[in-house]
Amino acid sequence: MKQKEGSIKRVFIWIIIIAGTLWMLFPFYWAVSNSIKPKIETFNPGSLFPYINFQPSLWAWDKVFTQGDPIKPLINSAVVSTATTAIVLVIGTMAAYALARYRWNIIKSKDLTVWFLSQRVLPPVVVLIPFFIIMMKLHLLDTWRGLVLVYVTFNLPFGVVIMREMFRDIPVELEEAALIDGASDWQAFTRVSLPLAVNGLIATAIIVFAFAWNEALFALTLTSAKAGTMPVYILSARSTRGVLFNVASVNTLLAIAPPVLLALTIQRYLVRGLTFGAVKE
Amino acid sequence: MRKGYMKFVFLLPAVVWVLIFTIYPLIDSLRLSFFTYRLGMGVGEFVGFQNFIDLFKSPDYWNAFRVMLIYVCVAVPVEMALGLGFAWVFARELKGKAVFRTIFTSPLFTTGVAVGYLGVTMFHETGGPINYFLSFFGTQVPWLSTGFWATVAILLLDIWRWTPFAFIILLAAIQSVPEEMYEAASLDTASEFQIFRYITFPSILPAFTIALLLRLIEAFKQFGLVFSLTEGGPGRTTEIYCVLNYRTSIKYFDFGHGSAMAFLLLLIVMIVVVQFFGRMRKIYE
Repeated sequence: MKQKEGSIKRVFIWIIIIAGTLWMLFPFYWAVSNSIKPKIETFNPGSLFPYINFQPSLWAWDKVFTQGDPIKPLINSAVVSTATTAIVLVIGTMAAYALARYRWNIIKSKDLTVWFLSQRVLPPVVVLIPFFIIMMKLHLLDTWRGLVLVYVTFNLPFGVVIMREMFRDIPVELEEAALIDGASDWQAFTRVSLPLAVNGLIATAIIVFAFAWNEALFALTLTSAKAGTMPVYILSARSTRGVLFNVASVNTLLAIAPPVLLALTIQRYLVRGLTFGAVKE
Repeated sequence: MRKGYMKFVFLLPAVVWVLIFTIYPLIDSLRLSFFTYRLGMGVGEFVGFQNFIDLFKSPDYWNAFRVMLIYVCVAVPVEMALGLGFAWVFARELKGKAVFRTIFTSPLFTTGVAVGYLGVTMFHETGGPINYFLSFFGTQVPWLSTGFWATVAILLLDIWRWTPFAFIILLAAIQSVPEEMYEAASLDTASEFQIFRYITFPSILPAFTIALLLRLIEAFKQFGLVFSLTEGGPGRTTEIYCVLNYRTSIKYFDFGHGSAMAFLLLLIVMIVVVQFFGRMRKIYE
């Protein structure tokens, strides 16, 4: 929209932008500033700015790491999310490639895609009890493997649908040339298409990683002390430590930093990823 | 479009995985909803629709249903409207737009339970920053000790977390409206509101529909933020559907009623999603 804009309108626009930015940033700021508050300032809400209102201290960070032990849940979250992402990427990319590049006669590619997509509609709570029973019988309660199995199931449809869109964006002529030169289907896939789709794949990977990292319902049901992820740790810290503001802030930051920081690196494919390829940028 | 058997090799692992790990649990869950079943006692007797009838008679069930309905009907429209408003504001040439866009995206990837936990400190009645701010206007709000204000607190946090979703999708959509669409309009001195109403909004309607659908689907799944902010309290005033369902199934190990409740949720979501189905199918042509 390239219109001439009056200066009053310009001011109005910037007021909205600045107000919105402060709104978006405030919870992050509150978490950071609380995490470095000394113990005595904890419940003083007017004490907002380090060095002006209070002398920053690492008291809360020290307390969390000596008493709460967030290291284990952080490792659990990292392992489970990474493994989920890797499996979704391998299996999902192959399926996406098949749907994007081959002729499907009996069931159309479009319908297979919508079938994958429809899995996403399913509220996870519907399969909560069956998965709990399965994991109990297989002795997979409180293990990485059990949680990864569930997370792959929920994220695979997302991976397939979004990566199909990415393959469809790559000109098919490049692969046809390779096939004529004697490349196998597998080689056309791994040597020609995959390298060209790499940016889209990275974006998909980060979104899947964040979904897995943030999931709470199954983490709470299937894991506890041994394989519990960050959401499990947060909830147990909430009930045992109460609302000690600075400790709560440290825990919050530890939980949200990895997915948020990773997601900030996605640029072009964010909207396509979040809309399952339906909205292009 | 290629032919050959390789397509099955590529597709099979994903299809098999999804079939095994969603179709089986789905059928098992449906089966359990017709039985009495508590953990430790094994599958009891077939009770027909009794579990469903019990739910319909239970005030706790209707309370959870009502909390979810309020949440979906308030949070989702507000998030879509705010997202659209901000998208409209940002869809022009601005200094530092990429930075602002990044800031406006970050809440979306935060962990629900962590945001709820942080919310406990932010809505704290004596030490929290929100009541501190309100004290300059001479008022204090009993955020987490009354059902009404606890619901408002949930909504406020959720709107903070999900407005970015509508925002980035609609911003991308507005920015991809072709320039020519506007040129014709500005000739006959249409007002900015008219341009938005008759050109911008109709052009982004497909993207708006997708964003609304995806947001709705996620909204029905709401669990983590509510569970960590209020634990369903005070009392049961904010016990949203999935929180009650989780408690029934995993805290009380009442698998029969838990499965029945979950299936009713699936039914609700299906009724909503079916309205959008034709449009979705067209997109993946």
